[in-house]
Amino acid sequence: MSGGSSAESTAGNPVAVVAQGVDMDFGTGAMAVKNAAFSLERGRFLTILGPSGSGKTTLLRMIAGFQTPTRGTILIGGRPADAVAPHRRSVGMVFQKLALFPHMTVEENVAFPLKMRRFNPREIPERVAHYLDLVRLAGFSKRRINALSGGQQQRVAIARALVFEPELLLLDEPLAALDRKLREEMQLEFRRIQKELGVTTINVTHDQREALVVSDEIIVMDQGEIQQQASPVGMYRRPANPFVAHFIGVSSFLTGRRTGTGLTVNGTECAGQAVDDIAPGLAAQGAIRAEQVRIAAPGGDLSGCDTVLEGQVSDSIFEGERLLYFVRLPALETTVQIYHHDPAEQAPYARGATVSVGWNARDLLIFPAKDR
Amino acid sequence: MSNPVYRPNRRALLRGTAAAGAAALIGTLPARRLMAQDAPAKPAEIIVRAWGGSWVDALKKGVSDPFTAATGIQVRHDLTEDNEIQPKVWAAVAQGRVPPIHINWDTTTNATKSALRGVTEDLSDLSNLANTTELAKPVGLDGYPIVNTYGYVYVLAYRPEAFPDGAPTSWKALLDPKFKGRIALYNDGIGFHFPAQVAGGGKLEDIPGNMQAAWDFIAQVKQQQPLLGEDPDFTAWFQNGEIDLACTISTNAREAKKNGVDLAWTVPEEGAKFDTDGLWIPKGLPENELYWAKEYINFAISKDAQQVWCDGLGLPGVVPGLTPPEDLVGDPSYPDTPEEMAHLIRISTKVQVENESEWFSKFKEIMQG
Amino acid sequence: MPNPSPDFRYPLRWRLMDGVERLADTLWPRSMSRHTGWLFITPAILLVGLLVLGLIQIGDASLRVLDTATFLPSEDWSLTNYRKALASSTYLTVAWRSLSGAVLVTVLTLILAFPYAYALVRVRKAWIRKALLITLFLPFFIGQVVRAYGWLIILGNSGMVNEALSLVGVAPMRLLFNYGAVVFGLVQYMLPFAVLLLVPALTAIPEETETAAGSLGASWPRILWHVLLPMAKPGLIGAGLVVFTLTLTDFAVPAMLGGGSQDYIANAIYDQFFRTADQGLGSALALMLVAAGSVLVGLVFMVFGAGTLAMGGRK
Repeated sequence: MSGGSSAESTAGNPVAVVAQGVDMDFGTGAMAVKNAAFSLERGRFLTILGPSGSGKTTLLRMIAGFQTPTRGTILIGGRPADAVAPHRRSVGMVFQKLALFPHMTVEENVAFPLKMRRFNPREIPERVAHYLDLVRLAGFSKRRINALSGGQQQRVAIARALVFEPELLLLDEPLAALDRKLREEMQLEFRRIQKELGVTTINVTHDQREALVVSDEIIVMDQGEIQQQASPVGMYRRPANPFVAHFIGVSSFLTGRRTGTGLTVNGTECAGQAVDDIAPGLAAQGAIRAEQVRIAAPGGDLSGCDTVLEGQVSDSIFEGERLLYFVRLPALETTVQIYHHDPAEQAPYARGATVSVGWNARDLLIFPAKDR
Repeated sequence: MSNPVYRPNRRALLRGTAAAGAAALIGTLPARRLMAQDAPAKPAEIIVRAWGGSWVDALKKGVSDPFTAATGIQVRHDLTEDNEIQPKVWAAVAQGRVPPIHINWDTTTNATKSALRGVTEDLSDLSNLANTTELAKPVGLDGYPIVNTYGYVYVLAYRPEAFPDGAPTSWKALLDPKFKGRIALYNDGIGFHFPAQVAGGGKLEDIPGNMQAAWDFIAQVKQQQPLLGEDPDFTAWFQNGEIDLACTISTNAREAKKNGVDLAWTVPEEGAKFDTDGLWIPKGLPENELYWAKEYINFAISKDAQQVWCDGLGLPGVVPGLTPPEDLVGDPSYPDTPEEMAHLIRISTKVQVENESEWFSKFKEIMQG
Repeated sequence: MPNPSPDFRYPLRWRLMDGVERLADTLWPRSMSRHTGWLFITPAILLVGLLVLGLIQIGDASLRVLDTATFLPSEDWSLTNYRKALASSTYLTVAWRSLSGAVLVTVLTLILAFPYAYALVRVRKAWIRKALLITLFLPFFIGQVVRAYGWLIILGNSGMVNEALSLVGVAPMRLLFNYGAVVFGLVQYMLPFAVLLLVPALTAIPEETETAAGSLGASWPRILWHVLLPMAKPGLIGAGLVVFTLTLTDFAVPAMLGGGSQDYIANAIYDQFFRTADQGLGSALALMLVAAGSVLVGLVFMVFGAGTLAMGGRK
């Protein structure tokens, strides 16, 4: 568990959200959230990433106030929020199924939180227009919700969540149901709007690409526990444990024992770098990203690689801008995944072809062997 | 049981109560008619429409069971309300169908409507008519489209508990504020219109021309929030302690009393409505069924049947020389002297038939207001 | 795939179905298949047709006046019965009681049914939902008359309620045979209908929509007023129409719990048919009830739409 704080310190920005030792126990066996602790500075975009059932949505719902933590405290804007009802929190939320009001027009949907929060009625139309403009829906104000496309509905939901200028914007996987093209468009849209308004935002998703694209910071959760909190680059380069390495990016895993210079796998020495101190001889697990493994014809140029091994291509997948090779390494009795770019210049290696594979010691990250 | 003509079947023997009546039946029906080769085929059963509760019990004991015992014809009692069977019979006769019942036990007023409409069989040839009082003959109709079978009185029934100083002497007791919400009348006010005319200061001779006195009195009664219902309602209301005073047929009050409710009844000084019920046969029955239906009515006005049936009802029959039930000797609801009869109010059936629906709607108008 | 053994036979039920299909093909050839839909709704059309014939007969009867000398309807047609009905203060009173009662019962029933239906839809524990369903359906299976009779016993002067009141020193009071008792009985009778018609409408409202409204700043009453009720409107209209029409035409409850002085139109019609044998006036009243009910329902359709009764025919 490494609940490290974000790498870059933005001094002077007060903390927007703090969670301290938050547990959620629904009484159904395993706890939904275990001892969650993190803090988020004002104006930043945080994504909580994890597989389904990891507790990410529960954590978000506790921040929104829909659920009360079994133990622990959540502070919003420095004040404990536990006793504050959802409708009294300054939190805007975009829901997974959007939860727009079908009996109201676009305009009425966006005006709803303003009316509920007793804004000056004379201000409301102007504000609604401003936010519809922000989400690029000017001119749609009189439409019925059912008459909008999926993307337009997304925009209404965002405007509705932001129009009352909440301290905090929460996104509960609102993009999950969209097709890929629209999803990617909306990801950028979220990012643009968040940067434009500077509103502190917490997003929940299981889509690692979305997390990397939109966030200033990422928290990875698994089985109710926070695995790591870091910036997207930091998270990608320095995963705190094999789970994070597995969940973000494409990695191959090698199981063996720690040596002075790396890892011995099936009697073969593999150069690598330990993330934590591990005494030599202890069981350890190495992870290496597919794009960090190089592939060449047997005896080809793998200069600079600390470890070079021979193997056979067992499969290759063409992904457009790159090829993904599966190469069987008999010495390690395992298969590694390799991204190979620039396929246009070179005919792909055929299935069954013998190839050389190599990597740099700094790219094989060695973790203590755990239960996973 | 010494009569050689009578061969009781096993079923009849089991029916203890019926046995005595059966013997009586044999006495009244000429043996030749029961045995004659030319007697029409017996139907398996005949259907008699009747009122439920103590009413049908009395009919069964006094008439139906002995009839079955003597003839082997089963009697089924159809407890459809008299008001509901009427349109069904009318429709059947109009469409030339076989009517749903063989005999209708009906109020004389209702029966007269059917007679006027021409849906009743003539019963003038019943042999036992010779032995009946003038009460059996329907007034203002030709022949006997109906045979009246007994008379009854719409008494003022009361709970003695509520009248420690003795029976109420006037219908005006209904207006006593302490009985507000605790008095009951029939739904359509039947039985109450005429005493109301007297109690309201009007004259019986003015009926139907001028009944303002009755309507004024009924309007006063309305202020007392009366319950309105049918015969079974009255029994239930008395039993459940819902009411203290009611204008109802004495039979209902007597039934409640038999069931342990402390209840008494009286004919107040203004008088009380006397009316009759009767039996009639709808047109359209097959020949043989008509024959046996007539035999049933003929038996119903025999002295023995009348004695048991009317005892059960607690009402005076249409055969002279009946013995009143012990509990009703000298009771005003069982008029058996000319003086007692003179105290009761009798209005001609014709007047009633022609004006009843108007009276009912006037009563409704007051009560539903 | 291994070949089935040569003596393999399809099960008897399959072969029977084949036979039925062949028979159906002969009786109703494929070429007729575009008319199959009509075939299935023919019974319904026949039933409605019979109903219309009945209405025509009633219409005919309503134009004939009863002659109390012969107790036969008149040969010629006239509007006398209608005039009589409209001129009578009794029928005006009864009609007003039925209409206002139907409105009151509808409103009360919807107010009570809404939380019940909401609980049915939202409650998470299966056993609570089952208990709610049983509580709802048990009285549903007991007929109206029996239930009304039950109220006579429970609410009577010496009934359970008055017994309980006497324990706390309250003198027995008349709970039955008044307008309140009739309204109570009708609401109790209509409740399951309303709940059953509301449940689909409420099921269609995602729970997330309520959560969303809460997070946007709406308190509970405001969620109810601004989100739940408007979104449940189709169900409320559907349930309201059914309850209204059933109440407007009810007979048993006013007859039994009204103590005779709380007649509804149906009771007045009954009286004409069965008590005074005036089928003409009864028919006229019946047709006027049909007309009044249709007009009111039509008005609701026009103003609010048909709700769930539109069956998706109109958006």
